[in-house]
Amino acid sequence: MSYRIPIGPYHPALEEPYKLELICDGETVRDAVMHVGFNFRGIEYLAERRNYMQGITLVERVCGICSNVHSLSFCMAVEQLNGTPPPERAMHIRVILAELERLHSHFLWAGIASKLIGFKTLFMVCFTLREKVMDALSAISGNRVNYGMNRIGGVNRDIIDPQAVLNILDEMERDITTKVIPIFLGNHTVESRCKGVGILTKENAIAMGAVGPLARASGVVQDIRKSAPYSGYDRFEFNVPVETAGDVQARIVVHALEMVESCKILRQALSTLPEGPFHTVIPPSAKFKVPAGTAISRVEAPRGEVFYQIMSNGTDIPERVRVRTPTFMNMATVRFTVLGQELADSPLIQASCDPCYSCTDR
Amino acid sequence: MTTPAEGFKARLQELGLGEEWEWNNGAWWAKLENADVRASATQMLALGARFVAITAVEIADKEIRLDYQWDLEGQLLSFTSATITQHIPTIADLSPAADWVERETHEYFLVEFAGRDHTRPLMTRAGDPLGINLHKEVAL
Repeated sequence: MSYRIPIGPYHPALEEPYKLELICDGETVRDAVMHVGFNFRGIEYLAERRNYMQGITLVERVCGICSNVHSLSFCMAVEQLNGTPPPERAMHIRVILAELERLHSHFLWAGIASKLIGFKTLFMVCFTLREKVMDALSAISGNRVNYGMNRIGGVNRDIIDPQAVLNILDEMERDITTKVIPIFLGNHTVESRCKGVGILTKENAIAMGAVGPLARASGVVQDIRKSAPYSGYDRFEFNVPVETAGDVQARIVVHALEMVESCKILRQALSTLPEGPFHTVIPPSAKFKVPAGTAISRVEAPRGEVFYQIMSNGTDIPERVRVRTPTFMNMATVRFTVLGQELADSPLIQASCDPCYSCTDR
Repeated sequence: MTTPAEGFKARLQELGLGEEWEWNNGAWWAKLENADVRASATQMLALGARFVAITAVEIADKEIRLDYQWDLEGQLLSFTSATITQHIPTIADLSPAADWVERETHEYFLVEFAGRDHTRPLMTRAGDPLGINLHKEVAL
């Protein structure tokens, strides 16, 4: 006998509103229907009725986890139209912010995954580490969530004491390599809950346009930092971890290894911070007009590729601001990952896709 | 800032995509007046490209310009097309990744994607007004 089980929009596993209807035979999931849009705020509509300076503040509110990548993508697109590339120091600072953001996002994901696996000690470890990253972000920007760092032509604040961030990084990297990685990669409980669970095949990942760690855990080699480098990412040495199993365990491995790679990038960026200005001078907002044209920017957010397309009509207000977030592409894959799985595994499977509904709904 | 990969234009020719490509602010744009979206989708999928996005923007006479974006070997390729009486063929049957994008474009810009089995609301709810991103300064 088939049962239709509605989960959400007040979701028991993830603290964001979306709804998943699972069609089950007994305890086995036979189909799934996804409902999103509970966080729809009309960000694109709003961005086309504000000037470019206001737009930066607005798009930073698209997401409460990867807020920085939105203002970064927006600024990068405007900089192309306006011909105001950021100075070298600003590009380094943008990379530092982006990688710290990736770390805190991955720790958040790892913590939630640990909780759903039933490993609450690891949840505590991950959230303790996440606090250290957020302390570093707070020390740099003055904020823990919306950093307000990006501006057209650079960044708003300098990193005055890179060594202080490096000290935090030393401590964090030690805990990642001695605690998080060994547990995620070698613990029997983690393995028994995750191996072979919630498989997304490479074919389905490609067909659905999946991006980021979700796609890379299914064998899709793809990372915008490598394929279309921005902010000087091509100057840093790092690897892009890719797994082929496509299950929850593979997603855990990819996330865990990406934390190590982020630390590697951070160490290089902090120790080679170029001298010089951290922004170019542009006119005050009331006089700031952008030449007519279209520009596209893509940034590798913690969850994958963020796409921004900005069209200017030559005024101080954009004609069109298009925002396509990684979870928007990734979430439709949940249907494939839960098919044939145990109902009890569905919260973990959903969480393993690292969804962000604030981003998806915009 | 993104820069075009060295020699990618030659690669486009090598892949049989012709010479009519122009790099402009973050993407390679096909120099076509009104691209056949299904033909270009078929071509992109055959080459192993990944569907990225559709960007809709209003043009004259209530029609909508649609930019279809594909990632081919890490480079972004754009095909521009436009609706005729607010209609354009769907590509969701060719590329399932386009399903959600077409649904939200329908809600935001009133574009009808011809050939779809359904266009269930994605961001809005059944009965909500459509065309919510159109540049009309009236109450919805």
